[in-house]
Amino acid sequence: MSKAFKGYVKNKYSRPAPLKGIRVLEVCTLLFGPAGPALLAELGAEVIKIELPPAGDVTRSLTPFGWFYKEQGPMFMHINPSKYYMALDLHKEEAQKIFHELAAKSDIIEFNMRPAVVKRWNIDYETIRKINPGIIYIEKNGFGQWGQYAEEDRPSNDGAAQALSGYAWTSSFPGQPPLKQGIWICDVFGAMMGEVAVLAALHHRRKTGKGQYIEMSQSENIMRAMGWVWPYQQMTGKGAEPAGNRDLCICPADTFLTKDDLFCAVAAPAPDEFKGLCTAMGQPALAADKRFKDHATRLQDANALALLKIIADWARTKTAGEIEKLGLKHGFAAQRVQSGRDMNEDPHRRERDFVKMIDDPLYGYYPEHDFPVMMSKSPPKNNWTVRPVGFDNDFILTKILGRSEAQIAEYYEKGLIGKWKDMQGRRPPPDWDKTSGAILRR
Amino acid sequence: MADYKRAKWAEWADHIRPLDDPAKNFEKPEALDDLVVLDVSSRSMAGCFCSSLLAELGAETIRVEPPGGDFVRTYAPHGLMKDGTGLAYLQEGRNKYHVTLNLEKKEGRDMLMALAGQADILIETYPTGVMEKWKLGYEDLAKANPRLIYCSITSFGQFGPESKRQQFDYDNIGQARSGVQYGTGEVLPEGKTYEEMPHAVPTKAGPWIAWSVSGTFGAMGILAAVHYREVTGEGQHIDVATPEAYERLHDYALHWYYDQKVLNERFGSLDTALWLYGFFPTKDGGVFLGGLRLEMWKAFVDIIGKYDEWKAEEWTTLGPFTKKDWQLRYQAMIDAETSKYTSEELAQKAVEYAKSGRLAPITTVIAPIVSPWDAMHDKNWIDRGMFTPVKDPVYGEVVCAQAQWKATETPPRTKWVCRPVGYDNGYVYLKYFGYGPKKLKELEKKKII
Repeated sequence: MSKAFKGYVKNKYSRPAPLKGIRVLEVCTLLFGPAGPALLAELGAEVIKIELPPAGDVTRSLTPFGWFYKEQGPMFMHINPSKYYMALDLHKEEAQKIFHELAAKSDIIEFNMRPAVVKRWNIDYETIRKINPGIIYIEKNGFGQWGQYAEEDRPSNDGAAQALSGYAWTSSFPGQPPLKQGIWICDVFGAMMGEVAVLAALHHRRKTGKGQYIEMSQSENIMRAMGWVWPYQQMTGKGAEPAGNRDLCICPADTFLTKDDLFCAVAAPAPDEFKGLCTAMGQPALAADKRFKDHATRLQDANALALLKIIADWARTKTAGEIEKLGLKHGFAAQRVQSGRDMNEDPHRRERDFVKMIDDPLYGYYPEHDFPVMMSKSPPKNNWTVRPVGFDNDFILTKILGRSEAQIAEYYEKGLIGKWKDMQGRRPPPDWDKTSGAILRR
Repeated sequence: MADYKRAKWAEWADHIRPLDDPAKNFEKPEALDDLVVLDVSSRSMAGCFCSSLLAELGAETIRVEPPGGDFVRTYAPHGLMKDGTGLAYLQEGRNKYHVTLNLEKKEGRDMLMALAGQADILIETYPTGVMEKWKLGYEDLAKANPRLIYCSITSFGQFGPESKRQQFDYDNIGQARSGVQYGTGEVLPEGKTYEEMPHAVPTKAGPWIAWSVSGTFGAMGILAAVHYREVTGEGQHIDVATPEAYERLHDYALHWYYDQKVLNERFGSLDTALWLYGFFPTKDGGVFLGGLRLEMWKAFVDIIGKYDEWKAEEWTTLGPFTKKDWQLRYQAMIDAETSKYTSEELAQKAVEYAKSGRLAPITTVIAPIVSPWDAMHDKNWIDRGMFTPVKDPVYGEVVCAQAQWKATETPPRTKWVCRPVGYDNGYVYLKYFGYGPKKLKELEKKKII
């Protein structure tokens, strides 16, 4: 084990997170927008999520099969941790002025509105850069800011991006209809890619003082992750086709049904791994079979299908656990398909503090993922969860802009800022004691 | 002139396009052109994807392979290679200098140590402990270069009970362990067996998404570490496990099981948490339908002419529609209707509805489910620079996905797609060690490079 990670979990809170001192404003809803700033929050930035009062982010209403956690949408909780919550009615000019003041003191601003909505609100890039020339300003949406689809004002969301990018097409079994992913991959991957863009821009700003404008499209980011599909189509003149769980570039690599009706992924393409697998199957001679002699030969369709059939027949006679153990013993990769139960019960995830308990003043004690990048000198951290609409208004206005209690009261009066609607997902949890979690005044 | 009707705000499009169009990328500065990256990854596209992102942003990225090349070069769809390199690597060799170095030999390891002394970032993907065994672990290199940012991408991480597993990191292993594959795929109908329906199983995504995600998280961690280093002068060790990286994108599965003991089971191309949200069949393929607000769902019902028959007027909340039995009931009803149209007809109906429907401007998101072939030939993406072929000095014109984001100041760009094994030994070893032809010949003879 690397010494750098000795006592990592124990000492996690004796070191700062890497983006300490960076401030982010977000005006985002649903997933593609808010997922990115959450990553920055876990990396230590101060992220202020600005919603429109009183209903706020639509995701507060979204829930799997009707399950709300303490009246809050679980998706919203997972997508928006460790932020501060402000509700500012950006339709109003005075609220826009407040936004400008916050923008002057921020490093990064993130939006996922339709193109030019920010212009109507006078918080577009050209306006903000005059206030803060170093600002890094990113807009994320379906089709970007220009081009036919954007200019036709086509709406989009993750499922549309899975459909339009070709991603769903390549992710089903041959002869079956395209399959949508169980997660909102174009949203969350795009959100990650957006933060790579933002962090690189931050580095550039440090060197030059210059900010910039970045646009990210829901479909385009995922096309970048589809790799070989593009040169394959160019060079063969044929469309890439789906292959189910079989990897078309790595052989053998597939998911197999096991004796105990579970599923186990196996990968053994390198010579040492393949020999190990053949030995584990009790068929060492296979490694020398002329159909399987090297990787390039194995990858040819007829050979690949023959080999995967042999492995599938063998896997059906072993439990998933037995195959995992044989993988360890013989040096090939084998992994049972894991579920939400494994996420909860697996000691490895817990000991790495990747799965940890959140101890939240409003939403109580429950498990959540920590940031999946462990950094030995500057550990990222996920410390608290979401807040009701406008929950931190007073804190932000006082801490950053020095507003008095009287001024804040006036803002509420004028409807520039607001608090939650009396509605599930917007208001505090039912067991809230009216003070817990409030920062400035209790 | 555009041959489509442009939105009222097109003036903004005309303003921003000249500022961030990828066609002008090469006129702009590069964000990371002050950084030197060593990519020592082995068998893993996660490492290559990670270093690609940095290389696209201008970092001088040196890809270190064993003599003969990394195994990753053999990853090839149906075995297809171009001049000895798998088509997959023609995407992720981009902008990198390719050198060979034999780390099995002491002299090779000394050279890597010396390179690391001059570098800012190192990326590696060996099973945990392999680099330490070679005395090339983080601690070893940090002694020589405390500013070094050292990123390890593995299946099981640098610590924790399973970190001892000596298995290489593969994408399908990451997808299997993440929990995402468990919840993706067709539902096996009651009374059927997997043998009868081998496609109704937990299904991984086709692309190497687990690798791309861990590589991207790696890049994010590296850039955050660069920021931290500017403040403190300290480098550090970064630990990314591919299954964890991908699992982080899995939304509520962990919490749902904890609170309700419910597993996030496969639900075909519908969505456990959303309505209207899924894939539906058409005459010539299928469409995605999206309407996450009640009015958008009502608009869809109106589009297919069922507003009165299904009594949409009476619906007051979307809530019950996300329930499993309601979803399945309405799925069957919608299937029968969407099958009457082509995908394009439906998409156009949604556009028309936004102008003249009873709930206009509210409409439904309707998108045809296209093949990657159609995506690659879609004028919209071509116009936005997604598939601009790269004119590679060695491999010729190669199409690759690029310009994944647009930026006014430091956009990513692709200069070349790959280099043959050891192609840049001369350039890199001269630049960093002053090694000319005489020394290189010696090293070749000793099988160091």
